[in-house]
Amino acid sequence: MLERLREIWMYRDMLRSLVSKELRARYKGSILGFFWTFFNPLLMLIIYSLVFSFIMRSAVEKYPMFLFVALLPWNYFASSLVQGAGSLVHNASLIKKVYFPREVLPLSVVLANLVNYLLSLFILVPALLLFRICLTIALLAFPFVLLTETLLIVALVLIVSVADVYFRDLEHITGVFVTAWFFLTPVIYSVDVMPPKIRWVFFLNPMAHIIESYRKIFYYGVWPDWASLGYVFLGCLGFCLLSFVLFERMQRAVAEEV
Amino acid sequence: MRGPDGRQEETNGIAIEIRDLWKKFRLYHNKAYSLKERVLFWRQTAVEDFWALKGVNLSIPRGSTVGLVGRNGSGKSTLLKIISRILYPTKGEVRVHGRVSTLLELGAGFHPDFTGRENIFLNASILGLTRREIKERLGDIIAFSELSDFIDNPVRNYSSGMYMRLGFAVAVHVDPEILLVDEVLAVGDLAFQEKCLAKIRELQRRGTTIVFVTHSPEQVQDLCDTAVWLDQGEIRMTGNAKEVAEAYKEFMEATVR
Repeated sequence: MLERLREIWMYRDMLRSLVSKELRARYKGSILGFFWTFFNPLLMLIIYSLVFSFIMRSAVEKYPMFLFVALLPWNYFASSLVQGAGSLVHNASLIKKVYFPREVLPLSVVLANLVNYLLSLFILVPALLLFRICLTIALLAFPFVLLTETLLIVALVLIVSVADVYFRDLEHITGVFVTAWFFLTPVIYSVDVMPPKIRWVFFLNPMAHIIESYRKIFYYGVWPDWASLGYVFLGCLGFCLLSFVLFERMQRAVAEEV
Repeated sequence: MRGPDGRQEETNGIAIEIRDLWKKFRLYHNKAYSLKERVLFWRQTAVEDFWALKGVNLSIPRGSTVGLVGRNGSGKSTLLKIISRILYPTKGEVRVHGRVSTLLELGAGFHPDFTGRENIFLNASILGLTRREIKERLGDIIAFSELSDFIDNPVRNYSSGMYMRLGFAVAVHVDPEILLVDEVLAVGDLAFQEKCLAKIRELQRRGTTIVFVTHSPEQVQDLCDTAVWLDQGEIRMTGNAKEVAEAYKEFMEATVR
């Protein structure tokens, strides 16, 4: 296990090349190029602001921001999972011809989406100030929440990508699954509006705690609920380690099966 | 099974050690990949086991050049892929001492929209070079590829020959201790092929262990010290390159008639 992690570390420059390839190739050929990384969240924000200020007025104060602070990290989660699911299958020609630790492929997808998310903060923070939402010291909790979310994403992407090699439907199932998960997570609504009967779903859903923490940090300007976040972090850490072990076991026949 | 860093291990001058290696492939005669197919053809997927390697024993001394010959499907490429860790053995053991580079495909991971220069970084990092190592070699790689005029153009505008040349230039500059080559020496025009052979000879002089798969007995006689003749997953003959090449040539000529 440690040896494997060290080997992945030795291939960190490959990881870096793949991440930069992913980020640059996405907008290659478009006039605005890399600026799309910023325009995408900006346009999204403008649309939500218009819709929720004039068409669907929400009871929640400053709803566009309420939504936006949760939607950005959710998109990090969702796009990593959807893109990561096929990361081994789509790179079959590479896997069959070159040796490298196969973890690098799904990890590069996660890292590229992480960079995208971090860049979208350059839109989020000015927008928060524009909406007169004060940023507080609670922002210091951000790295920890982000780490927890990243551990969860890495674990899921590793497992889904390697399982997809043996069971190709998984790539399509993932999309549907992520959509269902989206509505089970308090992104567009707040936890308070959940009927008490089904609130237990919330407690079982790690993403709910993570999204709730982001919202507390950015929107409410208060510290996250450390106790529940701590449990989620430990759970995600364990899950992540387990996923590396599982991936290592299942990747042995990957070159034959893709 | 393999040391994390072969260089530190006691190796007694052996670069690659293969003990009783078996490799089984499952041949699916219509593999059900999707759920629908699995339900429809449940228990109908005929699986057949195919043994690509049957108990291969081989040890390759450091610094030597070994040619693998054999007909199509004899297991040469499978053996090469197991040594390079692309495939896992079904049974048996492979020990590799030193940094391995495999030339199975030139230009692995090239992105058509990227320039030649960007692709050098991408391709070389996939082959396991660090960024610093690539920077050090960048000049040599570009010079070797003879593409300095086009290096900042996207590779989608390259001809297939130029593409291969760039791929080969990167691959030979990985500077491995063990180089595994699978029939990629026929790249570009004659002049470039000569250059590739010269590069291989230079690597030989520097003590690189080279294993390469080929169909051509002449190439084996030209480049190799020893040769291994694989036939249906088993070693049929091994020893002096010239003797093996001649025996193989005779056998092939007999089969054709």
